[in-house]
Amino acid sequence: MSQIISRKTIEQLIGKLQSEGGHAAAPVAAGKRYFFRPLQKAEQLVLDGKIMPVNSVKEFFFPPHEVICRYQYEGKELQITDAEPFEKEQIIFGARPCDAASLPILDKIFAWDYQDRFYQQRRENTTVVTLACQQPDNSCFCTSVGLSPDTTSGADAELLELGNDLYEVRCYTEKGKKLFEGLTEESVKTGKTAAPPEIRFDMERVSKYLSEHFDDSIYSTTSLRCVGCGACTYICPTCHCFDIVDEGGAAKGCRVKNWDTCQFAMFTLHASGHNPRGEQAVRQRNRVQHKFAIYPSKFGAVLCTGCGNCTRECSASLGIRPVLELIDKKAES
Amino acid sequence: MPQQEKLQQKAKEILLEKKADVVIGYGKVETGNIGAVFITDPERTGELVWNNLCTTNLSVYLKRKEIKKLGKPCIIVKGCDAKALAVLEIENQIDRSAMTVIGVECFGVQDRCEPQYKCASCNVQLPPHCDFVIERDTKQSAPQGSRYEKLEMLDNMDSKERFEYWKQELSRCIKCYACRQNCPMCYCDVCVVDKNRPIRIDTSATLKGNFAWNILRAFHLAGRCVGCGACSAACPAGIDLDLLNLTLAKASEENFGYIAGVQRNVEPLVGTFSPDDKEEFIR
Ligand code: SF4
Ligand code: SF4
Ligand code: SF4
Ligand code: SF4
Ligand code: SF4
Repeated sequence: MSQIISRKTIEQLIGKLQSEGGHAAAPVAAGKRYFFRPLQKAEQLVLDGKIMPVNSVKEFFFPPHEVICRYQYEGKELQITDAEPFEKEQIIFGARPCDAASLPILDKIFAWDYQDRFYQQRRENTTVVTLACQQPDNSCFCTSVGLSPDTTSGADAELLELGNDLYEVRCYTEKGKKLFEGLTEESVKTGKTAAPPEIRFDMERVSKYLSEHFDDSIYSTTSLRCVGCGACTYICPTCHCFDIVDEGGAAKGCRVKNWDTCQFAMFTLHASGHNPRGEQAVRQRNRVQHKFAIYPSKFGAVLCTGCGNCTRECSASLGIRPVLELIDKKAES
Repeated sequence: MPQQEKLQQKAKEILLEKKADVVIGYGKVETGNIGAVFITDPERTGELVWNNLCTTNLSVYLKRKEIKKLGKPCIIVKGCDAKALAVLEIENQIDRSAMTVIGVECFGVQDRCEPQYKCASCNVQLPPHCDFVIERDTKQSAPQGSRYEKLEMLDNMDSKERFEYWKQELSRCIKCYACRQNCPMCYCDVCVVDKNRPIRIDTSATLKGNFAWNILRAFHLAGRCVGCGACSAACPAGIDLDLLNLTLAKASEENFGYIAGVQRNVEPLVGTFSPDDKEEFIR
């Protein structure tokens, strides 16, 4: 027996959450594309396992901009106030399985040498409901990094489309069970997930090659068409770099945490003017190394879920996948 | 002969004659899509592709130091991209005598399976200011759309509604700078938003920081933006940056009769002083 829920009940659930001051986020249509955004109204909800939103749900845990603390001088006295804690309840609907799978990966980072309470509070307050993947596209490569369209990692619950605005609900955590408690009905219908996309490269081989070859001539060719923007890393579910900056004046201001990316020419620019990663090729190397050699050496898994966002949205049709495929070819020969 | 083949031949000729060291063109990249390719070997010019998916503006690569290192360029441009070259030349960013420009006749390109906005009012099917133009055997009539049609939506709003619209749109900017990086006209070595001693523009992706960034960029593109649409197409927040650029383009056309990129031998609009200027303060 499976548990099913209607779209109407989900909308009511969102309505209730919002009336209690909580947030709901889901893919929202804008122009030709979909973006994960906070829902204004429950009716905006789009649950379609074929769509590929541009951005990642990571921004509901690790927002592009966050105030850490505020400072103010009262005479000669410096007053520092902590930023308000994030106490709102959040529910994310329709996350792609490969997007949600980034959360356990990010958890390790934000609880490693430093306990990042900003991230952790949001994680505690958020329930992630994924939607079963129905149509991988030619940027997807979850199967190449050990995941698949039926990955449940990072999901508190999953919805599977049954047609006629009905969904099968599968709960994977206590949070998920609590969310749907009393809202589902028993049924004999079960939902399906898309067939896994083809495996594009041998992850073990790539990781091994990368850990043995910190530098490689390949990047000077593979990075040529990269224009050095931050798009790929900012919509990447697993990228997590940030910069800490003070904003405001000498007397009053705040300390903020803003997204940063290794693809920017500024990323490792020293005050002396020297930049150890002064060219796009070494910046690309940095991204590939971090994801497939450095993070794995620390945490035992790759820093990539194969969601394909970075390749799908790259204006140069690049992102990380083509580079990994070429490295794999080189490693094989 | 199909246009693509003619293009490949011309590119080969140019490399063989050593008129250029690298051809910056379109090709089928590893993802299966069309992307920029940089061909240095005359035997590989067969990889050049030309079709209606060749949407990006390749002139953006002229500013990249990684590409400059490849030597004297031969660049492939559509009519709209050729306008960017004209502006770059006016602003002394490129030396036309040290490069070759191949224009390809174009009847419109697509962005995410739909015709790009700019193509509906395009008047440069045959690219201007080129060293060689590769024509198509079969012709199509020129589109009749108006360049500023998209602005009607904004014109129909009152100032309060317009401000709300921009607040909504710009609040989503994540400061990835894909707009800047994809813009051929954003060629500064250090962009003002990257100046951090002291910081001049908030680096935060807040409404204030985003307004500062996007308005600043729009102003820096006034009278310079050629409307190639590369910034809008690249924006991962889905902000229609065309609207900002078109607003300023319309202002420069209406007030100064200036359309960026149309002429090769003019002074830049913002860099020109004219005693006839209608503003008093300038005299
Ligand atoms: S790979 Fe693409 S998205 Fe990433 S920095 Fe380069 S051009 Fe931008
Ligand atoms: S590197 Fe690309 S494919 Fe991997 S998680 Fe990030 S966006 Fe997805
Ligand atoms: S790949 Fe680059 S931007 Fe992403 S987490 Fe690693 S260093 Fe940061
Ligand atoms: S501002 Fe945008 S449309 Fe204008 S030239 Fe730059 S990339 Fe092209
Ligand atoms: S491309 Fe879009 S999101 Fe990125 S900085 Fe420009 S306006 Fe902002």
